[in-house]
Amino acid sequence: MNSPWEPKIVAFLCHWCSYAGADLAGVSRIQYPPNIRVVRVPCSGSVDPLYILKALREGADGVLVSGCHPGDCHYLSGNYFARRKFLVLHELLAFLGLRDRVHFSWVSASEGQRFADVVKAVTEAVRSLGPNPLREGESTCDAP
Amino acid sequence: MTLHDAARKLLEEHKVQGVLGYRKGSLPFRTRPYLFRDPCEIEELVFTPFCGLNLARYLLFLPQGIERVAIVAKGCDGRACVALVRENRLRRENLLILGVPCPGMVDTRKLAEWEGLKEHEVTLRGGEIVVRGVAYPLASFLDASCRRCRYRSPLVYDILVEGGEVPSLPQEDTLRELRSLPEEKRWEFFRKELSRCIRCYACRNACPMCYCKECFAESHKPSFLHPSPTLRDNFVFHIGRAMHLAGRCVECGACERACPLGIPIATMFLAVSDTVREHFAFEAGVDVTAPAPFVTYREDDPNAFIR
Repeated sequence: MNSPWEPKIVAFLCHWCSYAGADLAGVSRIQYPPNIRVVRVPCSGSVDPLYILKALREGADGVLVSGCHPGDCHYLSGNYFARRKFLVLHELLAFLGLRDRVHFSWVSASEGQRFADVVKAVTEAVRSLGPNPLREGESTCDAP
Repeated sequence: MTLHDAARKLLEEHKVQGVLGYRKGSLPFRTRPYLFRDPCEIEELVFTPFCGLNLARYLLFLPQGIERVAIVAKGCDGRACVALVRENRLRRENLLILGVPCPGMVDTRKLAEWEGLKEHEVTLRGGEIVVRGVAYPLASFLDASCRRCRYRSPLVYDILVEGGEVPSLPQEDTLRELRSLPEEKRWEFFRKELSRCIRCYACRNACPMCYCKECFAESHKPSFLHPSPTLRDNFVFHIGRAMHLAGRCVECGACERACPLGIPIATMFLAVSDTVREHFAFEAGVDVTAPAPFVTYREDDPNAFIR
């Protein structure tokens, strides 16, 4: 019952690079922490900041968004647009005092080891922050 | 030309079908937006440091039959007009901007400590505000967004009204104090403030740039938050709105003035505006042709925050 707290991290992975990178980590039997819950998205540019906010609202302790390296986007420029949105969100969360809850990374389909390293680093960063502060005074209402 | 003469002339010469301006409200220190359609009404038009509403908000909800309208615009109303024209919400040729130099808007909450204060007991004189015969520096009574205002007079206008006295006030960095706090203290502050929100949506409804027919806050499919005003739902609402206003917020502070709980919500939008200005060299409502920061990109945009 009283297992120690483990961070839950929602990972939005782009179909063309990071998801394949996670797959490669899997087939290469590279170990990484089991704290992430993967959501596959068509492109990092399709990740609306509201998805990230909703993940936090639903109790995720951290969020990772990962896409193709700049220049490698399957849709040519999706990750460049994403980078602008993420920069604003990143700086706003830092302003609010919630730095390091939300992480961004570029992982290509051939970087299985790198994917494992990113997940390790993100898990440790979120673990050191403790549980999601939005869960305090949690209401019983769930968004439908 | 004074504001009244200009407005009257426009109506008399049928240059516009209406003049969107302020009229005295029913409570002291309150003004209300009003669409003047008859030149005889113009004497009721006022422009005081208590005209905190952003009139551009009402340009999108004009009654039928009003094709060409004039708007009494201080700096931020003017910026909102430009931003709305840029977003194709308004046609510039149907809009006549009656620019008024703005002395800054008084934060009426700061007048609350004088009991039973009447409107005539408060006057402005140069850079000072005189309350019951005692002069105080105006800057200490101004709204936070006015203290950091960069554009007191509209940048784009058709007629610039003369007369209005614009005290030269130093442009203050109102976020400096917050930014200097350690991270935990900052979250402590925002946690408290966001928990107080009752989600009446007055901030959104006062915002000239929040014109979506269906707001994400009230959308059911998909649903992003629950209507209950809990910390986590308030968090999604305000941060989500800040993201929607990134590169669009004209920094008028109408949201904060509309808030019945006095929550400093504009701080979040101003912080986002600072980010956009710093990294994307963009300011909302300044240039009609500049592309919005989120519909364009540069290959050398900041990348250091990404793993």
